[in-house]
Amino acid sequence: MRDRLAEALRASTADYAEIRFETEDATHIAFRGPEAENVSSSRLQGGIVRACVRGGWGMAAFDSVDALEDQVREACRCAALVGRETTELAPVEAPADMEISAKLEKDFRGVPLSDKSALVARYNDILLRSAPRIESSYIAYYDSFRTVHFASTEGRTFMEERPKVTLAFGSIARDGALVQQAFDGYSSSTSYGTVLEREGLMEEVAARASALLSAPPCEGGVHTVVLDNRLAGVFAHEAFGHLSEADFLYENPKMRDLMHLGRRMGVPALSIVDDGTMGTLIGTNRLDDEGTPTARTDLIRDGVLVGHLHSRETAAKMGEAPTGNARAIRRNVPPIVRMTNTYIEPGGATVESVIGGVDRGIYACRAHGGQTMMEMFTFSAAYGFRIENGKVGELVRDVVLTGNVFETLDRIDGFANDLMIFEGAGGCGKGHQFPLPVTFGSPHIRIRDVVVGGK
Amino acid sequence: MNGGLLGRMSEAMHRGVDEATRQGASGARIHFSHSVRSGCGFENGRLKETEQTDTAYYRIDVVSEGRRASVSGNDPADMSEMVGRALALVRLGAVAHFEAYPAPTPTISVPMACERTSSLTRESLIEACERMVAIVREEDPDLFLSASGSRSSTEALLVTSGGVHHATRATSWSIGCSAQKTTGTDMLFAGYGRRWRQLGDLFDPSFIASEVVKDLRHGARVVEPPTGRLPILLPPEAVSMLLMPVWAGIDGRNVAKGDSPLRERLMEQVLDPCLSLVDCPHTPFAPGAAEIDDSGIPTREQTVVDRGVLRTFLYDLDSAGLADAQPTGNSGCAPYYPKVLPGDRPAAALLASIGDGLLVKEVIGVGQSNVMNGDLAGNVALGFRVRDGEIVGRVKDTMIAANVYEVLRSGVSLSAEVEPVSGMPWLLVDGVTVSAMSRQG
Repeated sequence: MRDRLAEALRASTADYAEIRFETEDATHIAFRGPEAENVSSSRLQGGIVRACVRGGWGMAAFDSVDALEDQVREACRCAALVGRETTELAPVEAPADMEISAKLEKDFRGVPLSDKSALVARYNDILLRSAPRIESSYIAYYDSFRTVHFASTEGRTFMEERPKVTLAFGSIARDGALVQQAFDGYSSSTSYGTVLEREGLMEEVAARASALLSAPPCEGGVHTVVLDNRLAGVFAHEAFGHLSEADFLYENPKMRDLMHLGRRMGVPALSIVDDGTMGTLIGTNRLDDEGTPTARTDLIRDGVLVGHLHSRETAAKMGEAPTGNARAIRRNVPPIVRMTNTYIEPGGATVESVIGGVDRGIYACRAHGGQTMMEMFTFSAAYGFRIENGKVGELVRDVVLTGNVFETLDRIDGFANDLMIFEGAGGCGKGHQFPLPVTFGSPHIRIRDVVVGGK
Repeated sequence: MNGGLLGRMSEAMHRGVDEATRQGASGARIHFSHSVRSGCGFENGRLKETEQTDTAYYRIDVVSEGRRASVSGNDPADMSEMVGRALALVRLGAVAHFEAYPAPTPTISVPMACERTSSLTRESLIEACERMVAIVREEDPDLFLSASGSRSSTEALLVTSGGVHHATRATSWSIGCSAQKTTGTDMLFAGYGRRWRQLGDLFDPSFIASEVVKDLRHGARVVEPPTGRLPILLPPEAVSMLLMPVWAGIDGRNVAKGDSPLRERLMEQVLDPCLSLVDCPHTPFAPGAAEIDDSGIPTREQTVVDRGVLRTFLYDLDSAGLADAQPTGNSGCAPYYPKVLPGDRPAAALLASIGDGLLVKEVIGVGQSNVMNGDLAGNVALGFRVRDGEIVGRVKDTMIAANVYEVLRSGVSLSAEVEPVSGMPWLLVDGVTVSAMSRQG
């Protein structure tokens, strides 16, 4: 494939051009309630040519490599319509040709569909039957094997295999008109084993859905909140992480000024990192989708903004080093600046002391989701507890938190020592590209004066 | 668009469906679509990128011995092999609640393709974006401006073992503009866009820019947010957000699976008597216009909620079988082009009736709530405080929360004006809980 891509690029008339071509095979099994709801598979292929002429980009997305030279010419024509300035792309330090094969401990492609189906059915049975007042359930197993081929007019090529296996599940409990749900999920890029032996988690989820029926809604207002590891990880991602993505900054002088390196950002104990090289986490790749090696990037160090996340273009235009964060969710879309594995570094306190420092507040646990609009963020906890006199008390539901990132990062006054990085079943969404594999991590943290929505 | 492609695919699709039934499937269907899209994007007020997309996709569904499975791909040369894959998969497939695809019945012809849209050039899209940017920039040269435009043409073919052979051709255009005003750490985002299938008066860059300018002016001043249980006025573009749980409750699969709070409430008063919800797939050139669902059942115009009374749920073929109901021709049990019928008061009168409340244009995070239960909660991304009937400024750090079934049960008012693309009126609702961080510390 690399020769085919390189050959097609000879048709380029642009300052720079690249082709990314991908194949993806996927299997999906889902239950909803007692029955299998979806059994499907897909095999998709295709790619995108990106060309840059005098700083303007042209793109041509396609399915087949049959007329690839025509796609290259089309992308160059598109770019020529745009460019009026100078093509600026930060140099990439990577071998000219790389082949990165997946290292799977237990390859899901070798597991018969009947085994996968039986496993999902067994889990579904637990979700449905292991707690009172459970009315329904859902569970979705998904595996995909994506192979990315890349070539550029700079003479670089790579092939990287990116497998992923995911299990997402939940129970739905009902009491009259009141419906409550609990859910969880896991992903792995290395082993089918991540979906095995999860019976205990299915029981836990069913019990939680049932218990939420008796939990009162969280009162709206301004509260001191302790976030558990998983929710604090989502907070790091939503509230701050997106703001560090340089494609929101590089063409926007006011945002560049606001997010300049060296500015104070949060309390002195706060450090946030994005690291696309971490082990075998699902946010980890050797190269991003522009062929830049991924990296560990300090974003906030001791309460000071010290880094941005970059593509080659944003790095060049902001005079910083590329960080390997240009990522594309699927074959026919361009890479945009995305996070990888993003986490808050741990502090020295115990979880008990972080919670113990709250007279009256909310202990918010796990994430239902999160969304940001730059300085403004919101995220929902899957459940929470009241904190009274430093003790975790009554279970509450409908815990939705919001705030302004600049103010909220200044109100974190507790960092526990229990950093955990979580490979969830969801992913990150940006610019219609969802769900990108990322991980979130954090210790327990405590934040003063958080707006909590509630009825 | 390659005019001969559907002809070539038709033969392969009929062969695939025949092969599946010959191998014992009681039902099979193949849906194929091919789209060509052209677009442009502006960043920081100037043209940044243009693009062309030429992609195809097909999906094969097979039903056999009470089970169903699907396979999808995008390489037409693979289709025969993929039919074999679907037949292998169906042995472990999902439970099917129908045995066969229905025979063809007459469909209404709905105009969805416009020659003028097909011939909309990239240069015209760029020109429209330049116009929007120029108008908004006049308001404030320091704004960070983005704009985009696109046009697409899609041809699709559905072939089923019931004998349906249905080809459609559709076009679409979209243009939009957004502005970001950054003052210190305060960021004001305002944006507006339109999408339609026919190129005509709705393609109006000046109008879109004027909507953005209007929000920028209203939002220039940040004011103290109100708190408590308050009236909220939603403009047409925000009404669908409020109705999201209601459509989830009307989804026939959610009903049949027991998840919908509206199950067993057919023919009951579930919403305010001023609310009538209709689905209009036969509206010419509407974004959701459709002649046929994905099983080959003709679509229909339907009143789903009539003056607050729940009249029907929406069922696709499999969900109807599960619920022992008749299919309504709604793929995925979802409406195609949902509208709220208008009321009789001017939108200005609805605004004037508010003593203290909010005009909410955009909320982030609403999907994170327990939507099926009717709960909505989110952060007001763009909203304005209304006092004594006047917009007094923008609110920040403000959350709204409500159970939609409770707040839409009574006290709702609708405008007589309807936004022409969404088909929605303005909607005033009372009793929404507003929580906020005081600006006064």
